[in-house]
Amino acid sequence: MSILQKIKNTVRSRSIHVSYVDVGSCNGCDIEVLACLAPRYDIEQYGIYVHNNPREADVLLVIGSVTPQWVDKLRDIWDKIPEPKVAVAIGNCPISGCVYARRGTLTSPPVEKYIPIAAQVPGCPPRPTEILNAILSVAPLIFKDYEEKQP
Amino acid sequence: MRSFVYYVREFLRPEWIRKFFFARTAPLETPSYFKGYPTRTEKECTGCFSCMMICPAPGAIAVLRKKDEWGPEVYPGHCIRCGLCVEACPEGVLSSGRILDVTDRDRTAFASWYHLEVDDNLCMRCGNCCVSCPVNRQIDPQLAGTGTSASDEVIMRIEGGRVRILHMEKCTGCTTCETQCPNRAIRVARMVEGVQLPEAEA
Ligand code: SF4
Ligand code: SF4
Ligand code: SF4
Ligand code: SF4
Repeated sequence: MSILQKIKNTVRSRSIHVSYVDVGSCNGCDIEVLACLAPRYDIEQYGIYVHNNPREADVLLVIGSVTPQWVDKLRDIWDKIPEPKVAVAIGNCPISGCVYARRGTLTSPPVEKYIPIAAQVPGCPPRPTEILNAILSVAPLIFKDYEEKQP
Repeated sequence: MRSFVYYVREFLRPEWIRKFFFARTAPLETPSYFKGYPTRTEKECTGCFSCMMICPAPGAIAVLRKKDEWGPEVYPGHCIRCGLCVEACPEGVLSSGRILDVTDRDRTAFASWYHLEVDDNLCMRCGNCCVSCPVNRQIDPQLAGTGTSASDEVIMRIEGGRVRILHMEKCTGCTTCETQCPNRAIRVARMVEGVQLPEAEA
């Protein structure tokens, strides 16, 4: 493994930038993501920083069950994130549509139809610890030795 | 000058440096009383579907038959961990957090029944509902094609040119009447109410 790759690995393990997008949820999951920032859970002690700029992001947290307005925009946001990148579905909405998965609603889950999802955190809403664990366990899988794994 | 030296010495202590750069909050444990996804206890499921009927999330729970045995199955990604199925199960088949302990202690339970309602503006008095109802047919096999009946024991009958509901409590919730009604005039609703059970004899 090259020295450069080692440096990249070290830096990436301590500096994960997260961006989140709500594509039509009840806001419960947004509040739990917010709770990760609070001192009780303190997401930054793990080197995870929450931004709302996809161009700076490594991890995209997708929340919500995809309303029609988001169908094309979600793909745009995903394309804006520089490689290496990973998307994590937060909550039941992006997985199944949760309580919106009934006749007469305008949502069209799952989010997997629009962008590739690497991990899912089920729950309505998931606990902050579950969100944290998901980011911490999926990020190294994607980011470690990223350049060397490229064909 | 002395305070400057003091601060430099203070901040060069290995312990201070270690704490500054590597401090972590203690790993957070999920307390045992948190409601997780409902899990099976060793009690036997009777296949009454109370859990499925009370569940507010689409597709979260299914009572399946596997090798002569009924059993509920909870699907993460659909389940919202509300715990209603745990409370609704009369057999205590499901468990989550301390719900069972609390319902045992407080002696609370859910009571359910079926509510029938006929919208007189939509109903055209055809009597389909009264004739098709399996409970009605059992009570009064003579039930006429017009839905009139001499028996007072039927759930409902045509009386004085309109549907009269006599014994709502006998309804089994099969919704046959709903499907047979040409005008969607009759509606069957499952009602659920929290009840306080009488104190157990000590
Ligand atoms: S906990 Fe609530 S949402 Fe989950 S299966 Fe039970 S009733 Fe349904
Ligand atoms: S789990 Fe309980 S409520 Fe559900 S079908 Fe079985 S006995 Fe009935
Ligand atoms: S739901 Fe079934 S049992 Fe109840 S009134 Fe209708 S047909 Fe009869
Ligand atoms: S089947 Fe419908 S329209 Fe006919 S009597 Fe019953 S409620 Fe009225």
